[in-house]
Amino acid sequence: MAKPLIIARDLSIIYNQGKANEFKALSGVSTDIFEGEYIILFGPSGCGKSTLMYSIQGSLPPGEGTLLVKGDDVYSYPPAERVYFQRYMMGIIFQSFNLIGSLSVLDNVALPMIFCDVDKPTRNRRAQSLLDRFGVGHVSHKIPAMLSGGQQQRVSVARSMVNDPKILLADEPTGNLDSISTQQVMDKIDEINTFDRRTVIMVSHDASHLSYAHRVYYLKDGLIVREVVNPQRKQIKPVMEGETIVTELEQLARLYPYDSVETLRVKSMVNFLTQEYTFDQIIRLEHAIALFIQGKIDRDSFIKSLILPYERGGVEIDINEARRMVGVTSKMMGQADDVRRFRARKDNDDIFFSQHKLAERMRDRLFGNYHIMLSKAQNTNMTELIADRVTGVIEQDDFNQRLTKGIRSGGLALSEKEADDLTRYFEKVIAQGVDVNYKA
Amino acid sequence: MRTQDLAQLSTRMFKTNPLRTWLTILGMGVGTGAVVVLVGLGFGLQQIILEQIVFGETLLSLGVSSTGAQGLRLTPETVAEFESKPAVLDASPLARFPALVTYKGLTGNVFVQGVDPAYLRYAGVTVAAGTAFLEEDIEDTSSIMLSPATLKLFGIPDEEVDDFIGERVSLRLLVPADDGTDDVNEIIIDKEYIVRGITKEAGVLNALMMMPELRNYVGILEYERIQVRVDTNENLPLIENELIEAGYRVSALSKTVEQASKIFQGIQAVLATFGGIALIVSAIGMFNTMTVTLLERTKEIGIMRTIGASPNDVKYLFVSESVIVGFLGGVTGILMGVVLGMSVNLFLNIVASQFGGQSVSLFSFPLDFLAFITIFSAAVGYLTGIFPARRASTLNPLDAIRYE
Repeated sequence: MAKPLIIARDLSIIYNQGKANEFKALSGVSTDIFEGEYIILFGPSGCGKSTLMYSIQGSLPPGEGTLLVKGDDVYSYPPAERVYFQRYMMGIIFQSFNLIGSLSVLDNVALPMIFCDVDKPTRNRRAQSLLDRFGVGHVSHKIPAMLSGGQQQRVSVARSMVNDPKILLADEPTGNLDSISTQQVMDKIDEINTFDRRTVIMVSHDASHLSYAHRVYYLKDGLIVREVVNPQRKQIKPVMEGETIVTELEQLARLYPYDSVETLRVKSMVNFLTQEYTFDQIIRLEHAIALFIQGKIDRDSFIKSLILPYERGGVEIDINEARRMVGVTSKMMGQADDVRRFRARKDNDDIFFSQHKLAERMRDRLFGNYHIMLSKAQNTNMTELIADRVTGVIEQDDFNQRLTKGIRSGGLALSEKEADDLTRYFEKVIAQGVDVNYKA
Repeated sequence: MRTQDLAQLSTRMFKTNPLRTWLTILGMGVGTGAVVVLVGLGFGLQQIILEQIVFGETLLSLGVSSTGAQGLRLTPETVAEFESKPAVLDASPLARFPALVTYKGLTGNVFVQGVDPAYLRYAGVTVAAGTAFLEEDIEDTSSIMLSPATLKLFGIPDEEVDDFIGERVSLRLLVPADDGTDDVNEIIIDKEYIVRGITKEAGVLNALMMMPELRNYVGILEYERIQVRVDTNENLPLIENELIEAGYRVSALSKTVEQASKIFQGIQAVLATFGGIALIVSAIGMFNTMTVTLLERTKEIGIMRTIGASPNDVKYLFVSESVIVGFLGGVTGILMGVVLGMSVNLFLNIVASQFGGQSVSLFSFPLDFLAFITIFSAAVGYLTGIFPARRASTLNPLDAIRYE
């Protein structure tokens, strides 16, 4: 069995020891990390994930416990010698890029080699080729401030790789980036792991990154509370048969990264009790509905994607059920449009309908669903009720109550059951139709 | 880290923070400039006084004259006696007679002094115009040197002193009668002497001629004065004491020079203290700047440490930055000081020439002094840099990188 590249045993780190603001950042963490692994340290702020990473990097001596990197106790060397080990073992990237503003991009990347006494032509060649590889070769003579955040982070990835280190450490590398740059940087880091076969240890609190990793360590209050193995990647860490098995919890952990194991167990149970579809099917269904709502696929493609067998990328739903789903969805979307128009008042684009007429149409469509015939007084009250709810004058509860109230007192005198069903349905429509985007 | 990389990294401040860097250099420059100007003034003053008299042989000579008491007389035998002393290299006498000098019909009283060329060297007699008697002029019979006061006698203004060289004067010696009476015999020298040089001796009416030439007209039995050339500086006081004990009056130029030097060392020390205060102020300013720079660059230090800079790399960076600032401060200071000194010199000389005064250089900047200042200011830079640098190198990289 291969020996782990990094072995931590009972690692404890206490900040400001002995002072009033003493803080235990790590309390007895043990972990084995193998060469070529992609590890994510995941957890909320202050959980000790960065502390663990910097301790591995060699900047934070543990108060207790041992840390071996490639069999060497890093902290047994004085700082002046530790640095020789760091130069060729660790590359590091930061959330805030941490490029040196007074040096050109090329010099920034070459800087670690400057400290290693490499001559100028060699290091510039190496730096330029790395910059080219990470798609920022054309800006090598600019200063970092003239680059976008994504470019800067790719420069700092190049810098971290310039001495060809065994381990790439990343401290929330995408924390300051927009989604496109995040994707680019994550792809580059993934490439370093899969193509260059470097060990990657990343600190993150972005759940969407978890799928890149071989294993994710969940940290909380200075402890590793959970280790989640990514079933989609071939594991490097030798798995003892029968010791660890991959369960639905691992899958759920990626869906709900912020929940505890207990909550995930509950979720798993509730899913089984209330839904006839698996989590995988639900994810596919969500995806299809999203495309339909955004108008990216039409009705027919929607149905097709629902009935397609799971193996071929579909949700695998019975054809009749699929038709029903599509029918309900498109009907609701139509009604949601009315809600939107009603709320838009000034920009009401349907010139044939006044506000009142819109409310009446919403009422008719709503009751068309439930086949309830209303009297004239009920109709009037209902129109008013819908207008009040859609404009936000009354809350969901008031709406529900007024449906059951007497006609004289402005209600519709419906039964509790009818009122609940109606409220539930109408709230779904409102949820679709209300524009929640921030307007200045 | 390679030296050229270190140089490149530690001169970034000229790009990133040019104003502050140059102001720091200027601050250092003003400090060292003050030292340069003040010490240069000290050197200048010293030189003005001493440059006329400081000749190696003059410093090693004793001027011996008789006190008149004890019947001591300076005779050719005395010269031989002095020369026989082991520490004495040479003794050169001066004979003096009153005389009348005539130039273009004007006649005045002077003293004619007969000397050997060596005497002029030992006594430190130099010329303001023309040429002095040299060793090969010992047989000269046709020329004399005059003191500036003699020219006043003829109504020659100061600015026309140079033109007087080559003029001809005639002499009549007034020699006391050797019959014991107070009578004076007038010996007319029936030829004209060419004036070959004007001495710098102020306030005396002298005409210098070669001793053999004087002997042609008058027998010399007694000398006015003997210059004794001693072999080494150590023997100078010994011989001096010996002669004083023998009853002679002895004057040593070296003593005067020594005293003058001491005074000027004192003046220089005072001037250097004032300059030094200015330098200390600017060094404190520079120290402050280096400390602020350290704080400002804490994060950068952290970054460098985490990407592989050793503590020593960081230290060298800081030290070399401050040495560069200190060195450039020194160079700037020297430039400012020298330019200022030269300008004052130039101004004074213009004023002096307007009022007919002699041109002087009030400031003097010896090269080794300037070299010392350059090295010294670099050293000040080093000292102001070493403490921040040490602190920077011991910073925990992680604390540093999180420093905002």
